[in-house]
Amino acid sequence: MPQLSLPEYEGVTPGNLGCPGCGANLAMRYLLKGLGKRVILSIPACCWAVIPGYFPNTALKPPVIYTAFETTGASIAGLRAALDIRGISDMTIVGFAGDGGTADIGLQSLSGAAERGTDAIYVMYDNEAYMNTGIQRSSSTPRKAWTTTTPGGKCGLWKREAKKNMMQIMIAHRIPYAASVSVGYPEDFIQKVQQAKREKGLRFIHALSPCPPGWRHDSSKTIEIAKLAVETHIFPLFEVRHGRYSITEKGKGLPVEEYLRRQGRFSHLTNEDIEEIQEIVDRNWEILKKTARVMVEEIY
Amino acid sequence: MLKPVIDRDNCSKCYSCWKYCPDLSIDIVEEYPAINYDYCKGCGICANECPKKSIKMVRQELE
Amino acid sequence: MKKVLSGNHAAAYAVRFSRAQVIPIYPITPQTCIVEQLSRFVANDVFDARIIDVESEHSAMAACISASVVGARTFTATSSQGLSLMHELLIWASGARLPIVMAEVSRAMAPPWNVWTDHLDVIAERDTGWIQLFCENNQEVFDTIIMLYKLCEMEEVMLPAMAIMDAFILSHTLEPVSMPDQQLVDAFLPSYAPDIAIQQEIPMVYGSVVKPDQYMEFRYKIDQAMRSAAKKIPEIEEDFKRRFGRSYGGLVEGYRCEDADVILIANGSAVSTARYVVNSLRDQGKKVGVCKIRAFRPFPANNLVELIGNAAAVGVLDRSYSFGHGGAIFSELRGAAYGRTGSPKIKDYISGLGGRDITPEVLKKIFEDLLVGSKKDTEIAWVGLVGEPLIKNIGGDE
Repeated sequence: MPQLSLPEYEGVTPGNLGCPGCGANLAMRYLLKGLGKRVILSIPACCWAVIPGYFPNTALKPPVIYTAFETTGASIAGLRAALDIRGISDMTIVGFAGDGGTADIGLQSLSGAAERGTDAIYVMYDNEAYMNTGIQRSSSTPRKAWTTTTPGGKCGLWKREAKKNMMQIMIAHRIPYAASVSVGYPEDFIQKVQQAKREKGLRFIHALSPCPPGWRHDSSKTIEIAKLAVETHIFPLFEVRHGRYSITEKGKGLPVEEYLRRQGRFSHLTNEDIEEIQEIVDRNWEILKKTARVMVEEIY
Repeated sequence: MLKPVIDRDNCSKCYSCWKYCPDLSIDIVEEYPAINYDYCKGCGICANECPKKSIKMVRQELE
Repeated sequence: MKKVLSGNHAAAYAVRFSRAQVIPIYPITPQTCIVEQLSRFVANDVFDARIIDVESEHSAMAACISASVVGARTFTATSSQGLSLMHELLIWASGARLPIVMAEVSRAMAPPWNVWTDHLDVIAERDTGWIQLFCENNQEVFDTIIMLYKLCEMEEVMLPAMAIMDAFILSHTLEPVSMPDQQLVDAFLPSYAPDIAIQQEIPMVYGSVVKPDQYMEFRYKIDQAMRSAAKKIPEIEEDFKRRFGRSYGGLVEGYRCEDADVILIANGSAVSTARYVVNSLRDQGKKVGVCKIRAFRPFPANNLVELIGNAAAVGVLDRSYSFGHGGAIFSELRGAAYGRTGSPKIKDYISGLGGRDITPEVLKKIFEDLLVGSKKDTEIAWVGLVGEPLIKNIGGDE
């Protein structure tokens, strides 16, 4: 018998419309491996509204409720209330949305769902821009990245603002479980999904999902880049259970240049830019480590 | 279009290729990974991640 | 049982009698009392429903949609800005063929802020595929909500619907409302058990992507469903009348129209005032009548044209202004009447916007204006503007 480090179950079928090397494909694959059966997905406008294919085909085994762009949080709230009053308690409800549909237009309804303790899992698969519409900046796009709406040009109009910190926003809602994952670490990803499944209330998973056409890298490098994000401390992997932090992947602390220089969306960065980014990343990493060391009382 | 070809003799059965395939196009057949060429998009992740460099991306002729 | 209730509370009781299951709520004047009353019912354990205190009306409709897809009977309530905020999701609800019922307390749109009766909010949503029924009094509000669940959940309909009541005039005014025994309502309205349920064995997708060669058929089916609704509304009223002794005329109801020279078409609470004025004018020997539009969607074109056929002149009371050629009801009626033999002159009276009172005196003046007829061809008038003649004709003799 082959020794697989991941559960065998596949909730996605081959032949879907994802780009070659799509990180979001892996995010969904690992999510469904971790959850198994008895899942309902609610998916707003995003790449994954198109990836399963056109009617009457679908590449997803669990039932899917597509919903309007800003409504994922409200959609899962309605699903849970309805299943609850119909006496169905053994289904895992999952809202699965992109970074645009979560951190921007979807933030209001996610905040409401979290505040009310909606019993569901919310996964933000983060390819760091509005990819389905062709690579426009979102609040999750990292600082200085190229996108079609931050195209640089004569004025150097790259993404000015820092990436919105969704993990901190969700933790501030005092939800029972929040975790960051990367498709480069499937075992860690699936463990966190399984932990999320064991909890009740609104559980949030932030899944870094590299995008070859959007990040401008070869389709074969998706995993390599998803790992480097963690190894350079740009995208730390940690989880927060009832207020207690733990960093699940320490990472080697490789220079950020290793990550940035592999992606065309950062090809315009000067050495000064990279130094600036290195300083910020190092500082944030120290803050995270300190936060993880401090024993947080369970105040909620 | 490039498609992966697995060198079975050099395969250590770590199943990294199966693990990282975004398109569910690697099955495990008789304990070895096997590419499902009907659905493989030729992204090359499997070749890139194989620790033994046992997968080569080969140009596939259009039929 | 008989209670003295506001329109809002009548709606809340109707929702409880209808055994709605999932109720996303958000406050907005003047419907807030509905959601408060429903919350009290649940808090006092007299109503088994799941209330979700959502963060916006848009989320309220989103939650109604997903709850309805997995087979729960759903309800929400809103007004003006909230209804507008829901706009894309109203279209989603009908596109998804979901029997959601909503109480809509018709209120003016901002700016400027105005919380009183005005129908623009409802009119602006007439293309969303929702059934829209206007109520004349609080009893009708109560009865209509129950009837709408029955209508919407029919296989040949499966469309969402709004029961519309005028802001403050109905929502906050107390009237006696008869409420039947729960068992009688249950016999009329069985529990909601849709064929479409979420299964695990068969992959199911709601709202997938379709191509140009597939989309139109979905929209055609909605048209068919709306036409079915037009047939079913009178049938359901017949059934309701047999069981509960009350009915509202179906899609339209003519009051003293059979031999009328002049007919006024109206909807909402103004109909009630118009009946009183009609009686008063009839006592003076004037042959007038009022035609109540109960169903605005589906638009009762044939019923209306038939009803006004013998009149010399018809006035339309539009309690909104739709920025086309005249108000919404006026334009739609004229479109429906075009080319049919014996069509009377039709004149638009835009009145009562933002809660400006439509008093018996105002209606009397409108009837007189119709009885006299205008020398020039003035089709549109604004009624009751401050500093203007009571009936200000646009584009003709004033």
